[in-house]
Amino acid sequence: MNIELNFSENIAAMKIDGILNSENAHLLQEKLNEVMQSDAKLLELDLLDCRNISSTGIGKILLFYKDFISKGGDIEVVRSSNSVYELFSMLKLNQLFTVNLG
Amino acid sequence: MANKGRLLIVDDSISVVNSLQTILSLSGYSVDSAFNGSDALRKIYRQDYDVVICDIEMPGLTGLEFLARVRKEFDRSLDVILMTGYMEHDYFIEAIRLGANDFIRKPIDTKKMINSIQELLYRKKSIQDNEALYSKLEEVGVSLKVSALNFGSLSFSSIFNKHLKERFKVNPDALNELMVCLDEMIYNAFIHGTLELDLEDRVLDHEKLQKCISERLKEPQIAARSISISAEIDNQTQMIQLCVEDEGPGFDFEKWLNTSFPEPILGLQEHGRGLSLLKHLSAELNFAKEGRQVSIRKSLTHPGKYAP
Repeated sequence: MNIELNFSENIAAMKIDGILNSENAHLLQEKLNEVMQSDAKLLELDLLDCRNISSTGIGKILLFYKDFISKGGDIEVVRSSNSVYELFSMLKLNQLFTVNLG
Repeated sequence: MANKGRLLIVDDSISVVNSLQTILSLSGYSVDSAFNGSDALRKIYRQDYDVVICDIEMPGLTGLEFLARVRKEFDRSLDVILMTGYMEHDYFIEAIRLGANDFIRKPIDTKKMINSIQELLYRKKSIQDNEALYSKLEEVGVSLKVSALNFGSLSFSSIFNKHLKERFKVNPDALNELMVCLDEMIYNAFIHGTLELDLEDRVLDHEKLQKCISERLKEPQIAARSISISAEIDNQTQMIQLCVEDEGPGFDFEKWLNTSFPEPILGLQEHGRGLSLLKHLSAELNFAKEGRQVSIRKSLTHPGKYAP
């Protein structure tokens, strides 16, 4: 699993490749902490090459989301693989923030 | 001379291609050639090769771009050896990241090249023999019992991923889902079942969670616990049954079954998200032994809830 994080003005762009699971979810948490401590108001998640996410990874995203919206931020999944899109729909994450396929 | 393997040489230099083609053909290989990356990709689409030997510096599609396309569009069983006149650190790292199998420095030492090809072909044959053996067995099973004290240091996803990929033809999407299911089952068995951590503990940051886990493992009753993992594959149906059992107090799975289906409502502090995910990704999800044992059945050939 690999995570790239770039900042541009008030946008944090994060690209996650591979499988996000309980063994590597702490790496995501570190990156999300960076976003939280920045001036970013929007986190754009690129999950096109993310092959799947376990509930630990989902939990990290949700905890971040809760804190991020309380400081006026928002999340958008700009691209997602079929499996991640299905998973987010099944867990109703698309009711919390925009989730785009492909 | 018997054909030892099918090779594709890719280089924009006609003299390099011709000399390698002659040497490798004389060594018993069936050799084809291409003078640029695009031509090589077209050939790979049309024919199976065992090893591709490709120059890094080529006009048009470079060797690294070619390698990236091969890894994206074909499976990793196609071995690629890269040839280069220099070994720039950045190129080397990038090539490893992209999945190069070996490197040959130019001017080419043909003995080293043949050794490299032989090693790759030997490894491929051993994988194919393994696949053939396991496909002939009606059922294949593996079971492990691991002490809680050793649990945190092992990556079971990596172990099972490697085991399955080397021995069975598994659909890549099904394999990804299977690894997520295994991760869910093992994480649940360790964090909830064995350590009995509650929600507040689980949402701690990594360092604090690790400290919390170490503290729990100092308690003799918890340190004495083990987790059992078993996997059984039925070759007839191409279904795998994964079962994980802990020695903790269990949980009220009937309550969860009654409250979570068919709509897994999402809340920020919601429990049971991992179980919903297991249900979503497997053909069957079962509980036993008062919730201490969780098992799933899942297809190796199709993603999702498919069952033959």
